[in-house]
Amino acid sequence: MDLAAVDRSATQGRSWLHDAAPAAKLISLAAVLGAVLVSWNVLVLAGIALALAAAVVAARLPLRLAALLAGYPSVFALIFAFASGTGFVNSATIVAKAVTAALAAVLVVLTTPYPRIFSPLQRVTPTIVGDALLMTYRSAFLLLEKFAETLRAIRLRAGLRGRQVVRSGRAATLALGSVLLYSLDLAQRDYDVLRLRGYEGRLRVRRSATFSVPASVAAIVTSLALFSVALLWRVQWRSLNPWSWLVPLLGLVALLLAALLRWRTR
Amino acid sequence: MSHIHIPDGVLPLWLWASGWALALALVALASLAGRRHELRRRVPILAVISAIMLVAMSSEIVPIAYHMNLTVIAGILLGPALSIIAAFIVEVVLALLGHGGVTVLGLNTLIIAAEMILGWALFNAFSRLLARRAAGWAAGLATVLTLLTTTTLLVGIVALAQNPAATLRETGALDPSTLRFGNPFAEGAFRLGLLSPEEAPATGVPPISVSRFAAVVYSLGPIGWLIEALITAAIVGFVARVRPGLLWQNGPAAKMSFGRRPAGDEAARH
Repeated sequence: MDLAAVDRSATQGRSWLHDAAPAAKLISLAAVLGAVLVSWNVLVLAGIALALAAAVVAARLPLRLAALLAGYPSVFALIFAFASGTGFVNSATIVAKAVTAALAAVLVVLTTPYPRIFSPLQRVTPTIVGDALLMTYRSAFLLLEKFAETLRAIRLRAGLRGRQVVRSGRAATLALGSVLLYSLDLAQRDYDVLRLRGYEGRLRVRRSATFSVPASVAAIVTSLALFSVALLWRVQWRSLNPWSWLVPLLGLVALLLAALLRWRTR
Repeated sequence: MSHIHIPDGVLPLWLWASGWALALALVALASLAGRRHELRRRVPILAVISAIMLVAMSSEIVPIAYHMNLTVIAGILLGPALSIIAAFIVEVVLALLGHGGVTVLGLNTLIIAAEMILGWALFNAFSRLLARRAAGWAAGLATVLTLLTTTTLLVGIVALAQNPAATLRETGALDPSTLRFGNPFAEGAFRLGLLSPEEAPATGVPPISVSRFAAVVYSLGPIGWLIEALITAAIVGFVARVRPGLLWQNGPAAKMSFGRRPAGDEAARH
């Protein structure tokens, strides 16, 4: 998990999706999740996934990172689909649901800095949860970096190479143990900083100064359109199922247009 | 198979909504319990231990679809109340990164929290039974038993999703005259069973095979439990050698708050 790359994309990216209000993006995420909940049509889900992929391309997000993050749950979904033995089409549907939902979440996280995502959550959660959410994400950056450094140092000192599985495993465990101790020292340092600054609950996140209203509206309208398509196909499935191929086709067209736009404005 | 890797939209609404409600209630209770103690001591330790779990969960062993969790170690260090909050925080961040569904976040919180609390209780029990020098063994045993229990819990959740009588409850309400769950929304969108494939046979979605799911989970799971137990045992053994106070003298979370004020912290306004 390359959290640094996720954060870089969220903070340094410049696109209409980056400009949309975080609340609008969270509403859009909810609408796409609604579509995923409602739809059991693999073609409709594929179409929604393609439309989201088009948004990833149009917003100039890092493609490899987005694909890795969205593809990660598909491994587990595949195992679940196989284990549940519901047949090929339903297995494909389960995987499509996993990838589509993950892609929607990834779109939000790759275009919104984490304090902006957590600040709406902070308002509705108890103080300890909201504040710990903010500090967890920050700590995860530091610990991932520390883990990689420690692992590298241990491997170099022990002269480890790729295929020494047992020794490599032992080195990784030792590195994780060291990182655990380091994390407790980090907690102590954080505590000292909080105490020095007079923290008595509720870390404050500065609200975004500007966001684009058209971009926010576009994000919400697009996601509601995707939800409506899923709902329509679920309700009117008898008459619409023969036309299901239209949805992925439209998604594909959107993806091609987005790719063309990205290539032309490179 | 620590937490549910079931995508959004597979489990029935009543099940995941109940998971959300129960998880939120537990998180609220755990947060209230925390208010009596010091927030600024608890927030950093909660954050770093949650981050450690995130670091572990971000590395997947692809062939067996398993990733490290470190939930037992986290439970030992945090204790029961903070474990519930840590489980929720970890699941929120994972859901945002596309790992684990948003709808199953509540159920996942319950499973992870159960794992942390059970791991903490079993480790303490085994530590009393075995000598302290065998901390690694105690942690390893606690991990295997905990993962076996929570995997069974996971299979139980999938089995619950199969119960057709239960799925009626997602759109229905208890009829006091018959003590049965009826459907008050006889017409409209609810009648279509939009959110429950089990109630819409016309769409052709067959139920999940629980026995097959259990067979796969129980055959792949032990490999993961063994790896997790070995790593947990090694880490706990390492911590027991270099900083034993973290494991037995109430743990860092307890030392940092519960009951007494740590030295040097006068809680004065600055």
